[in-house]
Amino acid sequence: MDKLQYLGLLGGCLVCTVPLEFVYGFRVWRSPARLVRALGPVICFFVLWDLFGIHRRNWWFNDAYVTGIELPGSIPIEEIAFFIVIPAAAISGYEAVRASLGKSRDG
Amino acid sequence: MLRSESHAMGEGGGGGEYSVLALLAVVFAVTFELRFARTGLFRSRAYWISMGIVFCFQVLVDGWLTKLSAPIVLYASDEISGLRFPWDIPVEDYLFGFALTTLAIANWIRCSK
Repeated sequence: MDKLQYLGLLGGCLVCTVPLEFVYGFRVWRSPARLVRALGPVICFFVLWDLFGIHRRNWWFNDAYVTGIELPGSIPIEEIAFFIVIPAAAISGYEAVRASLGKSRDG
Repeated sequence: MLRSESHAMGEGGGGGEYSVLALLAVVFAVTFELRFARTGLFRSRAYWISMGIVFCFQVLVDGWLTKLSAPIVLYASDEISGLRFPWDIPVEDYLFGFALTTLAIANWIRCSK
């Protein structure tokens, strides 16, 4: 189970942020086309950035806490998941703050 | 089994490649917003409040990822400044986190059509 630790951490982020859109009424995960359009370039940029850093041995991952499943370039799937979950969580947080501040849809 | 454990446990000194990469990511994110997306994000109260919340969550999540007692992510000591706060979070991670979340929010707003 230790090998699921990184994924578990990301799962925890989802648990904290996905419900926000049901509480506040905005649509992030429920606007999948827009989310894909928004995150696509971001994921591409940071995956390349990550591949560079991994290749250059600027950082690496503890075998004990990752699944060991990697994409070409030795990038753990956990990193791909990170670049999906964290930006989506930030967007959800932003939309929740906007809703709390009483901003209109295009405000 | 940790790889290059001694390499990771040393002190940084003055910054290195990760420091530069993190700064470049910030420059890219700010330039993307100001020159391309132009969403007005940096004038938005909601954005800055969100960044404050992101920072708080980053301290928790990244704190767990980078804790030297059982790190999930490790850094080459030569390639970071060596500054870690709070706990064992390399300060470069905040630059990276800012860039990642700002780019995402800016592009999300830009994709509102």
